[in-house]
Amino acid sequence: MLVVAAVVAGFFGALLGVGGGIFIVPVMVLMFHLPMKIAVAASLVSVIATSNAGGSSYVDQRITNLRLGMFLEIATTIGALSGSVLALYLNDWLMLVIFAAMLAYMGYAAFATRNVDDARIAANDFARAHQDRLSAYLDLHGSYHDEAANRTVDYVVTGAPLGASIAYLAGLASGLLGVGGGVLKVSAMNNYMNVPMKVAVGTSKLMIGVTAAVGSILFFMAGLIHFYVVAPVAVGTTLGATAGTIVMNRLHSAALKWIFAALIVYLAYGMFAKALLLRFSVHLPALA
Amino acid sequence: MSNHPAVTATTKAEDKIYADVYDVLMAGMVISNILFVAGLAFALIHPHFIPLTRAYVLRNYQWDAIVHGLASFRPITIMMAATLLLILTPVSRVLISIYAFHAGGDHKYMIVTGIVFVVIVVTVLLGLLGLR
Repeated sequence: MLVVAAVVAGFFGALLGVGGGIFIVPVMVLMFHLPMKIAVAASLVSVIATSNAGGSSYVDQRITNLRLGMFLEIATTIGALSGSVLALYLNDWLMLVIFAAMLAYMGYAAFATRNVDDARIAANDFARAHQDRLSAYLDLHGSYHDEAANRTVDYVVTGAPLGASIAYLAGLASGLLGVGGGVLKVSAMNNYMNVPMKVAVGTSKLMIGVTAAVGSILFFMAGLIHFYVVAPVAVGTTLGATAGTIVMNRLHSAALKWIFAALIVYLAYGMFAKALLLRFSVHLPALA
Repeated sequence: MSNHPAVTATTKAEDKIYADVYDVLMAGMVISNILFVAGLAFALIHPHFIPLTRAYVLRNYQWDAIVHGLASFRPITIMMAATLLLILTPVSRVLISIYAFHAGGDHKYMIVTGIVFVVIVVTVLLGLLGLR
């Protein structure tokens, strides 16, 4: 049953451009009634699995910017370490509330974010940014072949300090909540660092693996990774993510956004209701 | 037009780095998934109740339990090996990248990647020191 649930979570995660963690953690907590910490630990391992699968493909296509990824990984791994330490000591109900809040933000971000890359690529805009001193010192830049635009896109990275700060928060969310933090990383790179969306997605896909690995190490050593939970989740999310990647291009993005919004509202409500039950013994009505 | 001097396609040294990273990710993904499936298969063949407690998990962290478990195809030991391998895949990727940047003469990013590895080592040390 857990394999099936993980396949569905991985499928929707790939369909909607997010990691499996955002769906698999609520599924494990709400449907299988697993403690939050165990669900977070298992989800972190599954994030590594999906990162390996998706990240390797983007690396092979030379879309990922390895240098940018390595630089931001300094921030995300420190964030993940902070988040994992917090998770070991926080009460389950508080983690549930934070998770529900994160879901609400991601639902908002899905509608607020618009991809304006096409016009910028046509105007060669990504190659024109003025670099800050840190970006220039780290020689952050790159190029990739955009198949949709049928051209090579050059870009110059900027905003390294702000990008690193947001990457730290993404790592914190990863270690604390068992998600990949990819939404925050992609947003940071595309909105504040002058990185084309496809490069941001590819680089993020690679980064979430080592971010989740840091959290996983602490959870592993604390005895919170239950292998009978991890195995079906890891295999299931990998299968589902692979299938979702194949289907994604055939669906309209507007329909995807509405599916995402509906799922997010349902899951956020469920997580918040569980938190109230754990902390105050208050029962909210079930949505389904 | 950008006046940045080095906005170009990847060089041969860069290509080597990307290829090494890809190989590590693929190997880790394939082998760990095989082990996970094997562990699940053995668990289905010989099902038994597993308590969802930290004490039960930590009991398997003994060398003799690991050796005996692998030798007797114990499902939990196989799945533990798969989990460790999966966790170590991105760690290996970081190590490979340090070497690849060094071999390519990019000492700046050898240091950047080295800092990431230091964070991972600190994490392990914190775990060993009993941060649980």
